[in-house]
Amino acid sequence: MSCHNTVVLETRHAGRQIIKNGNAIRTVDNVSYAFNKAHIYNLIGPSGAGKSSLLRLLNRLDEPTEGEVRFFDKPLAEYPPTELRRMVSMLFQTPYLFPGTVRDNLQFCCCDLTDDKIGQLLTRVGLDESFAGKDADDLSGGERQRVAIARALSLEPEVLLLDEPTASLDPTSSQTIEDLILRLSEELCLTTIIVTHHPNQALRLGGETLFLVKGRLVETGKTEKVLKDPETELARKYINRELR
Amino acid sequence: MIETGYMQVLAAAALAVLAIVLAKVKAIPVGKEIAFGTVRSFVQLVAVGYALEFIFNTKSFWLVALSVAVMTVVGAYTAAQRAKHFTGGFFIALISISAGSLVTLGLMLALRIITPEARYIIPLAGMIISNTMNAGAVTFDRISSDLKDHRLAVETALALGKTWRQASLRFYRNAVKAGMISILNFMKTVGIVALPGAMTGMILAGASPLEAVLIQVIVGYMLISSVSIASILAGEMAIRRFFNAAEQFVG
Ligand SMILES: Nc1ncnc2c1ncn2[C@@H]1O[C@H](COP(=O)(O)OP(=O)(O)OP(=O)(O)O)[C@@H](O)[C@H]1O
Ligand SMILES: [Mg+2]
Repeated sequence: MSCHNTVVLETRHAGRQIIKNGNAIRTVDNVSYAFNKAHIYNLIGPSGAGKSSLLRLLNRLDEPTEGEVRFFDKPLAEYPPTELRRMVSMLFQTPYLFPGTVRDNLQFCCCDLTDDKIGQLLTRVGLDESFAGKDADDLSGGERQRVAIARALSLEPEVLLLDEPTASLDPTSSQTIEDLILRLSEELCLTTIIVTHHPNQALRLGGETLFLVKGRLVETGKTEKVLKDPETELARKYINRELR
Repeated sequence: MIETGYMQVLAAAALAVLAIVLAKVKAIPVGKEIAFGTVRSFVQLVAVGYALEFIFNTKSFWLVALSVAVMTVVGAYTAAQRAKHFTGGFFIALISISAGSLVTLGLMLALRIITPEARYIIPLAGMIISNTMNAGAVTFDRISSDLKDHRLAVETALALGKTWRQASLRFYRNAVKAGMISILNFMKTVGIVALPGAMTGMILAGASPLEAVLIQVIVGYMLISSVSIASILAGEMAIRRFFNAAEQFVG
């Protein structure tokens, strides 16, 4: 498979406004950006910046109220939502596992998944194959997170949207996930958009970084550049605070 | 109890007074409510008694239809109070309750279990409407709270490419079952834990116990059918309110 630089996902002046108790809240504001195939994108920004809200627009869990989102140069609305979400797979900030075993969860999307394939998925996310028979309720936070990633990968998506996937993991498990992301983008040409609170994690993943504040893209560019030599005062302050 | 009249009611009111005195002595703050309830239930029921006498005597189809319609609207309004986090509860309840009543009463007429007379239609419709109203309210309540509490579960399924129906199926089923649970429990315990009101009333009024029991069995079947119809319809229509055509959770 060739991983040439095609645009996979693109937002064009995408925005979303919600009305809550009579007040208009703009969660995403005029975001225009093109995500390239097989690249890694770090989404950083303060709490409430709209990082999760932006991810939700990318697989059409929410509808933009302004602008549009395109997947392979066609508006998202032109794809059946269920098929789109199998190609643009998303992992929530707090992973949810369905009642049942790890196997049940991995077979949730494709119920004809063989034991071999299940073993592969588990090894991929750094879990032993014996986990397949475990009850989802008995897993630790980090194990749940990894099962959820494996489940998202079972769809063999084009794009993987990860909302703080290592928030509840220890450094070793975080490393496993980071390695996995790097490997997947290389081996499977997977495009990964990952929300992270750790500038150091973004640096390890490389790729591009998007700095979001109040729903708006404040700064974008090569991760090294954005994190080590930001253009804006806002980004510099935020990064220094997070690095401490 | 041979001849029941206002004198007997007045005598029975002594029982309510006894309750009030007990509440006063024990300083349980319900005295006023008991007094109010005593008067209120008397006035309401006597008014209904006169209304029913009038309707039965005039034998007007339209008057029967009107009373059933009023009961249905009030029932739908009451059930709709439990429709939280979604709109259109009143119409959903109206359709569910009406369908539950019309189908079951229609079948009972067609099967010649009852004849189209006010003395059958009105009390049976009243029982159906109050039961389907409760079923609708419970179904609404369950759907609202389950979808709100399990939003993450539903959206996880949607994010993995499931349709809204697949993503919410287990909550729909649970809600419909919850709506039917009280009539199911009733059918399980009927006659053992308590004698139903309608049956007790018939026996008090002089019917033979066996006749009363047969009527009660028919009433039970009628209620399970109408409650099933109403719960399924209420659940079906309510759950749709939480999703749109783009398989998005919009509750
Ligand atoms: N359904 C909603 N109702 C009300 N406000 C919302 C809703 N969804 C998002 N918001 C608001 O939109 C803003 C962006 O939220 P979002 O969850 O996208 O931020 P975030 O960058 O992911 O934050 P965090 O790092 O804390 O996860 C916040 O101010 C949030 O309160
Ligand atoms: Mg977030």
